[in-house]
Amino acid sequence: MRRRKLALATLLLTIGAIALVFAGASSGHTKASSPYKVAFIYVGPHNDGGWSQAHEAGRLYVQKMLGGKVATTYKENIAVGTQFAQTVQSLVAQGTKLIFATSYGYLNKAFVAKYPNVLFEQATGTDVSKNLSEYFGAAEDTVFLSGMAAGAASQTGKIGYVVAFPIPEVIRHANAFALGAQVTHPGATVQLVWTNSWFDPAKEKKAAQSLHAAGADVIGQNVDSPAAGQFSESAGVPWVGYDSDAAKFAPKSWLTASVYNWGPYYLKRVKAAMADTWKSGFYYGTINDGFTKLAPYGPGVSAKTKAAIAAMQKKIENGSFYEFAGPLYDQKGKLRVAKGAKMQVLKGGTNSLYGMNWLVKGVIGSPKG
Amino acid sequence: MNNSLLVVLIASGVAYGTPLLFAALGELLAERSGVLNLGVEGMMLVGAVMGFWTVERVHAGTAVTLVLALAIAAVAGTVMAAIHAFLVITLRANQIVSGLALTIFAGAAGLSSYLGNDLNLADQPASKTFHAFLPSGMQDIPVIGPILFGQNALVYVSWLCVIAVGLYLSRTRPGLNVRAVGESPAAADTMGINVTAYRYAHTLAGGAFAGVAGATVTLAITPQWVDGITGGAGWIAIALVIFAFWRPELCLVGAYFFGALQALAPQLQARNISLGPTTLWTNSLPYVMTILVLVVVSSGTARRRLGAPSALGTAYVREEH
Amino acid sequence: MRISVEQRLKRPRWLAVAVPVCSVVFAFLVAAIVLLATGHNPVSTYRKLFDAAFLQQGSLDQTLIAATPLAFTGLAAAAAFRMKLYNIGAEGQMYMGAITGAAAGLYLGGRGGPSAFVIAAMVVAGCVGGTVWALIPGILRAFFKTNEILTSLLLNYVAGYLLTYLIFESASYWRQTKGFNASVFPTGKPLPHSAVWPGFTIHAQGGITFPLGAGLAVLTAIVLWTLYKRTRFGFEAQVLGDSPRAARYAGVRMRRKILAVMALSGAIAGLGGASQDGDFRHTLDGDPNGLQKQGFGYTGIVVAALGRYNPFAVVLIAFLIGGLENAGNTLQGPSFPAGLVGVIQGIILFSALGGEILTRHRIRVARRRPKIATPAPAQSPEPAA
Repeated sequence: MRRRKLALATLLLTIGAIALVFAGASSGHTKASSPYKVAFIYVGPHNDGGWSQAHEAGRLYVQKMLGGKVATTYKENIAVGTQFAQTVQSLVAQGTKLIFATSYGYLNKAFVAKYPNVLFEQATGTDVSKNLSEYFGAAEDTVFLSGMAAGAASQTGKIGYVVAFPIPEVIRHANAFALGAQVTHPGATVQLVWTNSWFDPAKEKKAAQSLHAAGADVIGQNVDSPAAGQFSESAGVPWVGYDSDAAKFAPKSWLTASVYNWGPYYLKRVKAAMADTWKSGFYYGTINDGFTKLAPYGPGVSAKTKAAIAAMQKKIENGSFYEFAGPLYDQKGKLRVAKGAKMQVLKGGTNSLYGMNWLVKGVIGSPKG
Repeated sequence: MNNSLLVVLIASGVAYGTPLLFAALGELLAERSGVLNLGVEGMMLVGAVMGFWTVERVHAGTAVTLVLALAIAAVAGTVMAAIHAFLVITLRANQIVSGLALTIFAGAAGLSSYLGNDLNLADQPASKTFHAFLPSGMQDIPVIGPILFGQNALVYVSWLCVIAVGLYLSRTRPGLNVRAVGESPAAADTMGINVTAYRYAHTLAGGAFAGVAGATVTLAITPQWVDGITGGAGWIAIALVIFAFWRPELCLVGAYFFGALQALAPQLQARNISLGPTTLWTNSLPYVMTILVLVVVSSGTARRRLGAPSALGTAYVREEH
Repeated sequence: MRISVEQRLKRPRWLAVAVPVCSVVFAFLVAAIVLLATGHNPVSTYRKLFDAAFLQQGSLDQTLIAATPLAFTGLAAAAAFRMKLYNIGAEGQMYMGAITGAAAGLYLGGRGGPSAFVIAAMVVAGCVGGTVWALIPGILRAFFKTNEILTSLLLNYVAGYLLTYLIFESASYWRQTKGFNASVFPTGKPLPHSAVWPGFTIHAQGGITFPLGAGLAVLTAIVLWTLYKRTRFGFEAQVLGDSPRAARYAGVRMRRKILAVMALSGAIAGLGGASQDGDFRHTLDGDPNGLQKQGFGYTGIVVAALGRYNPFAVVLIAFLIGGLENAGNTLQGPSFPAGLVGVIQGIILFSALGGEILTRHRIRVARRRPKIATPAPAQSPEPAA
């Protein structure tokens, strides 16, 4: 009986202690603080060496440039769906005023309508409303240039390309890569292997390995980890990366990569939001406003290739060349874009950048995955 | 010849199957003593991150660093296994749930992720790795070159482990004892075998092997650190133990078989051979095959001849006097 | 001094509550040490945790949203684990229920049926989807003696690939093919309005909304409890779990029971999947970064274990764990690594598991007594532990 009383007393004491801890737990009001609160939501880890890390670099850039005037934070590994919804709700309850959602599927018009006083931006999406803006950019331009480096580095003209999902974004990048390779290496072919994942080092290494075993002598990718590059280094074949400067993963194989530079856009938008001049819209960054650029070259890129790429980059920048201008033929040889016509970002159905579901001549593999 | 589909598949199967083999050997030892440990994935990840940490922070000769990394990975796995061992052996908790708890605690959203973050291990290649080291003359021999000689040191170590574990279980006194413990702990107890000690020892050994398996991933296969880099290999390893009738040499066969299956899809894609309407087939194939093999292996006749340790999964309670 | 662990002769009822509570308290103490060691203030962390889960404006709603799928998968696990059938496949069964539930919603809702009918059909379809998927390991176990842990687990992967395939890799019935957005990125067809599940708002504390799924989960808990405590089915299932041999002698049909319990477990998980479609996503979510990333099925097993397979406890614990998960999202950030949340969850689970021994055994510290030769004990049957 005594022991039971003792146990009961301990239990009550513990509950009392807990109550004390929570006495004074706030009901959720945050005191008005001067820094402007901005949040970034990542679908993967903030240090994945790829997509999310590039956004994180942008966030750090904003924090550095605006210092104490802004309080930025991030949430990582947030799944699309109810986890995202709860994360947003708690961020808003903490006073966040501007949220960047860095993956498709996170946001839609109905969702943002629930928070009319909060500004939302989504990467790679399409819905636009009063407080929802979309942003992405013409990575295909720099992917095209990186393809030129791949074509120049290839002896046999057989290039391998590791891709994630058969969606227009990936398909147009694969097409741009192939078109670029064909500039420096006429007749080059690009063999695709789909991993069905944006980020999966093991699968990407296996894909690279299989491409090499099937005869590819240069490896490129449109996925987020440097695993394909590590394989390329060990196999002694040149490698074109994606998303970030990953030269340290493959010092000898590294050629270059198309990298996203989110910082300047983020800075512009945060400043606008703070000055109350923010307006929603559809931003499609280009090589001219520094949205995409080429990572520094590796040792395997010849001076001649660098010159060719630089010249081509100038032409793209001043508009005298566009990689998605006709004539463009699909895999079966059918003419899809007439000579002189330029593919638009949104208009044109399957002949638009956002709707492209066919592969150009020279790409081997199925656009359906 | 050496780039033919078959040779590449088998060589890949050996390479990618090695972490599965190490983990399966460890789980085999634990299960032989009657302890089921479903926390293999978590133990592998902790071993992976700690092994990676070692090569990034220790600046010594390559061989020394790598061996040290393996040792530290093994210790990390052992520590994780100790939690499970204490819970299920001493505190007699449910083995299934404890193993799952270990996976949650140590796994991709737990301790291993925390360590990777806190120790700043992301976004860098392993500064030293295990890679093929035999002379290229040997590696270029038709067929057996890439398969046998084109592998890294861990593969060869795993072969030695298979032999060692096999000999241990069949030829040594402790090995025979542990089999008794797994079949009937009560009988073993009356024979004077310390059931608790054997279970602890073999569960901890299982952790050590799992740790090394994890290090294989971050030091040989994909030499970088990301959350959850083992990608579910721990679960496959548990299945492999059953697949292999709890025999080490069959663990090797199963591990390489599964490794090859996982390499199959990209290899076929790269050569434009389609094995079905879509990648759904090729992605699911390894799992479906494993289920089919498990069914065959577990069915009546097979089971009676070489079966699971009878006392697997149950806590042993010595009758009180 | 000798510490011995002895089996209790009877289990006092207050222990069934005290032990879990004390385990959780112990867990938070251990976690506090971990937090201190990693440079975080435990008191403020716990306060933020509690705030985020329950007290902040809108938190309760979010916790209910997070708890609903966990209640379903927890009940699914509890239903099976009680009979020592370790169905690890709730994750995949939930996906399958989501697929069949969405199909029912899209088809019947599209044909203009009344909302109540469409929703009822989704409920049934969800259960069917989960049941069918759970019967695969069930049949393999009942007829081929294949270990259900591994078969149900491996099928989770297959179900995941199927779910992704339906939306990302094919122009299936579930996939949205009309409209510009659809061509840019794969999405599922939105459910018609009649297929959207309602929520019930209580006007207290600023308005709390209970999703229909939450109500169904509570109903399921009641049904499950009644089934196991008051029917012959439940009694036989319990006996089978405790002692298969005794069950066989008593004439319990093993195979039928295994199939029935797996079917029941799968149905509950499948219903959880339909709830995801109808309550929250309003479409079939095949995004690998969506439903498949949340791991509801695996967390449900944790919930079931913490609730000791008692349906009502499971629902309560689902609520608490849902709150904990939300709190984790809120806490994480540049200064609070996401991995810590998993560590704390694991510590809670370990403590609960470890504490369980106290309900069945007592730890006695006694002075060493002189050895007296005792006659060999008579063969007495050991009470089941």
